[in-house]
Amino acid sequence: MHVSNTINCSGLSTAPTVLRIKQALIGLPDSKLPLSVLVDTACDCARLVSSLGAMAGDVYLASDVRQMPAHLASSRTVSARLTDTIHQAS
Amino acid sequence: MVETTGSGATREHETYGLTPEAPGFAFDPGDPWTQTFQKGLERANLQGKTVYEVGIGTGINAAFVLRMCGASTVFGSDLDPRLVELAERNIRSLSPEHAEQFQPVKGAVSLIDTEEARAKIAQTDVVIACLPQVGDPDDSRLAAFREAQSVPLASGADERAEDHIAHYYPWAMFDEYPFNAVGLGLNEALLHRIRKHAPKAEVVMNFGCRIGADIIFDFFRANGFEPEKLASQMVRQDAGTDISFFVALEKALTGTGLEKEFVCEFFADEKGDMPLSACEAQTLSKRDPDVALYHEVCVIHGRPTGA
Repeated sequence: MHVSNTINCSGLSTAPTVLRIKQALIGLPDSKLPLSVLVDTACDCARLVSSLGAMAGDVYLASDVRQMPAHLASSRTVSARLTDTIHQAS
Repeated sequence: MVETTGSGATREHETYGLTPEAPGFAFDPGDPWTQTFQKGLERANLQGKTVYEVGIGTGINAAFVLRMCGASTVFGSDLDPRLVELAERNIRSLSPEHAEQFQPVKGAVSLIDTEEARAKIAQTDVVIACLPQVGDPDDSRLAAFREAQSVPLASGADERAEDHIAHYYPWAMFDEYPFNAVGLGLNEALLHRIRKHAPKAEVVMNFGCRIGADIIFDFFRANGFEPEKLASQMVRQDAGTDISFFVALEKALTGTGLEKEFVCEFFADEKGDMPLSACEAQTLSKRDPDVALYHEVCVIHGRPTGA
């Protein structure tokens, strides 16, 4: 079972973002942490962190792909969608 | 209306004066989902338009938009290659005067992922679809998520019906799409492809609103479409479709402070006066497997923004 350590949550409000993060963390080995999460630009990150509780330590939140570590931003899983996001934001 | 079910059996349903051949491997054309979809299609201004149905099924909707909505051409494809052949037969028998206006894309076509399908989408004015919104109970990652929330699979949900692919999609396969979190990954993959290959095409899509219409509207906007609800109807929850996915979503939010921001929308009555969360619906269902549970089905028109 392949589990990615980068996910795109753009367009999602806080509750589905938490769901997506929890789904992504299932089965993700410690060696692949932190989970890198591209959140929506309107995301209330403080609230998101509060909602995640102890899990917040396992995630890296970014609201712009340029804030993500380069090797993660180029990941096949998110690259197509992130390209769209950059395009829409510019 | 005649219905016989079981392997190899044929159901016959008269819908808007049309009676298609409907073997067990096809989504039942007499289902209220189809009625709702057709109410929306009637309001979608399809006169003279070129339409592509992703997931052609029995062909009942293709025949409907040709005969009742005045579409000029309908393309259609399906993941199950038997269905496009069935649709061709049904359209020929139900609306022979329009048979030449149906152009099937043959073979097994996932979404629009063949060269021929993409070429036809590029010529399309309106894409119509009613795609599964529930992850396959057999999906191992979904099972792991469900188990992490201590949500058991509903009794009988592991039995594979002949029309399984009309109800479920391979959830993990569409995990690159954000709205897969709430069961819209397959639908989002389609919107993504339409934006790429037919940026001016409109969409008319049929949804079960068990996750709430608001999040479906968010889904459209996030993918570059302005949504408008064309039709809506309360339908009985399909007894054969597992709702444990929705229960797991609610339970995953326990203790996050977001419990009230995402509550699934089931109802104990057909009028929709008695709302139930997925957890409440599951409790009732466990107590009485024959209990009637309802949810809204709605048809949403999406107009591409910036097109």
